[in-house]
Amino acid sequence: MAEKELHHRPEKIPSWKSDFPIEEEQATHVGRREFAKFLGLLSGTLALGNGVIVIKALAFPAKPLEGEHFVCNADEVAVGKMFQFEIEGSKIIPYILIHLEENEWRAFEQKCTHLTCAVRYREDLGKIECPCHHGFFSADTGEVLQGPPPRPLPRLEVVVRDGKVYVREEQQEQTV
Amino acid sequence: MSNFRRSQNEAHPNKTNTLMTAIIVLLILFVGIQIWFLFGALNNALQDNIYFALTTFIGSFLLALASFWLLRYLPDPLKKSQKKGNNQKETNKKE
Ligand code: FES
Repeated sequence: MAEKELHHRPEKIPSWKSDFPIEEEQATHVGRREFAKFLGLLSGTLALGNGVIVIKALAFPAKPLEGEHFVCNADEVAVGKMFQFEIEGSKIIPYILIHLEENEWRAFEQKCTHLTCAVRYREDLGKIECPCHHGFFSADTGEVLQGPPPRPLPRLEVVVRDGKVYVREEQQEQTV
Repeated sequence: MSNFRRSQNEAHPNKTNTLMTAIIVLLILFVGIQIWFLFGALNNALQDNIYFALTTFIGSFLLALASFWLLRYLPDPLKKSQKKGNNQKETNKKE
């Protein structure tokens, strides 16, 4: 009996406790519950984001470039120079045309595959340079030579006919 | 009166703590894997790799389900009335 009374004797409550009637233990407890719920929400959002990627890839597949596009006259671009142009499809994509050597032409997308900075042809190095983080691409194939870009530059096929330069989507068998 | 739940709680007062920590660690693990999936899918989607996107989506979805399911096991918050010694008897009755 005496033991029981000891157990249930009311503690003396300091006055600040009545001013702030929130127990520390209780407060932290709720915080962790909320944190866990927030993590659950985040998890759901991430799954949703992954789903959006799938839907986007299924509903709006990247269309290959159709037909040939006139770029410029062949004598406008000297050997070792580059020429910027754009092709308007569902969106405007900038490209560069490079006159590597006599009768050697290349066309690549100008957006760096790292963070879409505009790349440029460096004649002195014979490479394509991205000035943002010093990524280098091969001017011949568009492959990454150095730096952070994860993928090669998308490439177009160049056709020169009657002194005029055209580009078109690369034929499948010619891709490396 | 004393019941199984109460005696369990008294014998292992740290149990809710451990449970909470375990759940949060698991959730962080799940979310971490999902971020990894999403990052990979974003990178691969640029290369038109639909299968990778699909696989990571399924994985991510399952992980999200697992997270929601884990939330069911969150321990209940401590009862408010427990803080007063006077109410101890009543609280125990309620439980
Ligand atoms: S944007 Fe081209 S290297 Fe980073």
